[in-house]
Amino acid sequence: MRILVIEDNQTTRQYLQKALQEQGYEVDLADNGQDGLFLALDGDYQLILLDRMLPKLDGLTVLSTLRKAGKDTPVLILSALDSVSERVKGLREGGDDYLIKPFALSELLVRIEILIQRKGSAKQLSSNLQVADLKMDLLSHKVFRGVTELHLQPKEFKLLRYLMEHSGQVVSRSMLFEAVWDYQFDPQTNVIDVHMARLRKKVELDGVIPLLETVRGIGYRMVENS
Amino acid sequence: MASVTEWWKTVKQARSVWRLTFLYTGLLLAVVIVLLVVLYQLSIGQMSRQQYLQMENLIMQQTQLANQLNADEFIQQFQHQAESSRQYLLIYQNEKQLVGRLNAIPEKISTCPILTRFPIWLDKYEEIRLISGCTQTLSNGKLMIAIDDEYLYELKGQFISASAIALGLSLLLGLITGLIFSTRVLKRINSVNSVALRVEAGQLSARIPVSQYNDEYDHMALHINTMLNQLQHSFETIAGITDAIAHDLRTPLGHLRQQIESEIKEKQQQNLPSDQLQVMLEKLDEVLFTFSAMLELTRLQQQQEQKSQHFKTVNLQQIMVDAVDLIEPLIEEKHQIIKLKNGLNLSIKGDASLLFRAVYNLLENASKYAGDKATICLQLTKNGFIVSDNGPGICDSEKDKVFQRLYRIEKSRQIAGFGLGLTLVKAIIQLHNGSIKLLDNNPGLSVQVEFSQ
Repeated sequence: MRILVIEDNQTTRQYLQKALQEQGYEVDLADNGQDGLFLALDGDYQLILLDRMLPKLDGLTVLSTLRKAGKDTPVLILSALDSVSERVKGLREGGDDYLIKPFALSELLVRIEILIQRKGSAKQLSSNLQVADLKMDLLSHKVFRGVTELHLQPKEFKLLRYLMEHSGQVVSRSMLFEAVWDYQFDPQTNVIDVHMARLRKKVELDGVIPLLETVRGIGYRMVENS
Repeated sequence: MASVTEWWKTVKQARSVWRLTFLYTGLLLAVVIVLLVVLYQLSIGQMSRQQYLQMENLIMQQTQLANQLNADEFIQQFQHQAESSRQYLLIYQNEKQLVGRLNAIPEKISTCPILTRFPIWLDKYEEIRLISGCTQTLSNGKLMIAIDDEYLYELKGQFISASAIALGLSLLLGLITGLIFSTRVLKRINSVNSVALRVEAGQLSARIPVSQYNDEYDHMALHINTMLNQLQHSFETIAGITDAIAHDLRTPLGHLRQQIESEIKEKQQQNLPSDQLQVMLEKLDEVLFTFSAMLELTRLQQQQEQKSQHFKTVNLQQIMVDAVDLIEPLIEEKHQIIKLKNGLNLSIKGDASLLFRAVYNLLENASKYAGDKATICLQLTKNGFIVSDNGPGICDSEKDKVFQRLYRIEKSRQIAGFGLGLTLVKAIIQLHNGSIKLLDNNPGLSVQVEFSQ
């Protein structure tokens, strides 16, 4: 698994290198847009971490050139420019995800993992999701824990679906919010936790093995305990 | 309602136009009146004064003669005098006879020098004329002297009507020229006012038109325009600085965050406690959040000038449903009730994420400050929405201040927050051509948002 990091700030670059290597990724580095583009076109990467403001060639140009050249390597844009229009611009140019600096490392790792996995497993089109004894029928919107049917609100259904689709992975609060509410902003309160607590109450029935795990400082994970 | 206020505005402006016009006309009239009085005194006034002076002289002369001469001598000279005098009518009467061109001295003629006007038949003109005269008691008889001054009276009458016409004309002239003059002056002042209003509304590029007359108004316009140029320049500089801060200050803070995060990770790997570092991280995140919010605010306020191109048609009702969905568990936790009243289908051009944020922020504020068991109501109106609660409300003196950056009401300081929420909400609403008002809900607060799209 090779990841290309295109980032002009030395501290951030080294920090990313160290953190990614600890996770078992091989890391290539570029400190400007030109070198970055060259490496990206030439090498075979599972993912590219791309800064927006770069010397020689800015991030968006690198991205659009890459896409025009037919490279569909997933690109995660890192940027201090956090307005919605900037985000939209980044995603429109072919970025797969957008993370605002400063970011929590855990959130970055979660997003990287999801991007790489999404690329690897071309969407399995299934009308059913299952994690342990939790079953979700996407067509009839019915959810069963074992044989007990769970009655979920529409938003709770969406939350659970997102967690089940990414079972085994850590998903952050902002990822949950964006996936379920489809607006771009950080509510910056514990409101997602309150929603999760409610969902948990409905999903974790008495006497069954818990499936929802809280990951401190990051978010949640649905685990399939065997 | 709008037309009434428009009308009142014009009336108020018209008032100052009229005030100036009346002042000008009044001055003009005063000058004309003074001129007329002087003219009168120099012509008709002078003439009548001279006539009466001669009359007095004549009386004095006859009085003296009556004392010096005996009765016959006096009558003789008087007869001569009465016949030769063309201007004056002279009559003398003693116990025996009446001398003069009149058959009797009329009664009720006052004593000189007070004149009485009385009618007589004059053969010369073959008509009755009004003449002025007075009587003087002499040593041995009574003298009456009268003058035919009717022409003087006619002259006076003519002068007065001529003066009245002159005054009327100058009044008319004054009003017309005054009106034209004041309207032109006010028009130029109003052009300054309208530019000031546009600048106030955030349109910093507005400038006052400068005419080719190069007068005081043009000088004023030039000065104000220069001032506005400097203001605009400063604003742009500030915007530049904020962007610089965004990149320069957030990067080191980001590094600090990275380091703390690494430390936590190491501690965790060595199974050492990392709680204090976690707290540090949370505090740092708060700082970063406030910082981002302030930058975003600046950006939103700047966008006013170059309205966002990415605006799409947004269904406000959907946004409200979503916002209520998000806040609902928090409301439930505080045993509050939230009511969503809609039915109207309102769509506006805008940014869904920003509008969602505005609605959510207002709901969150209501829940935060209205207290436990409060009822919060979100209502869609025909051109906006209303968020109301039955909590303690906000007193009138604070209502404007809560929109200021980093302002927090004293009693709410113990509740977590940064004092940026309402400022952001207002910036978002203004970006969408809307207005936001805080009103009393008796009890509680009612936030009214209206879009004028």
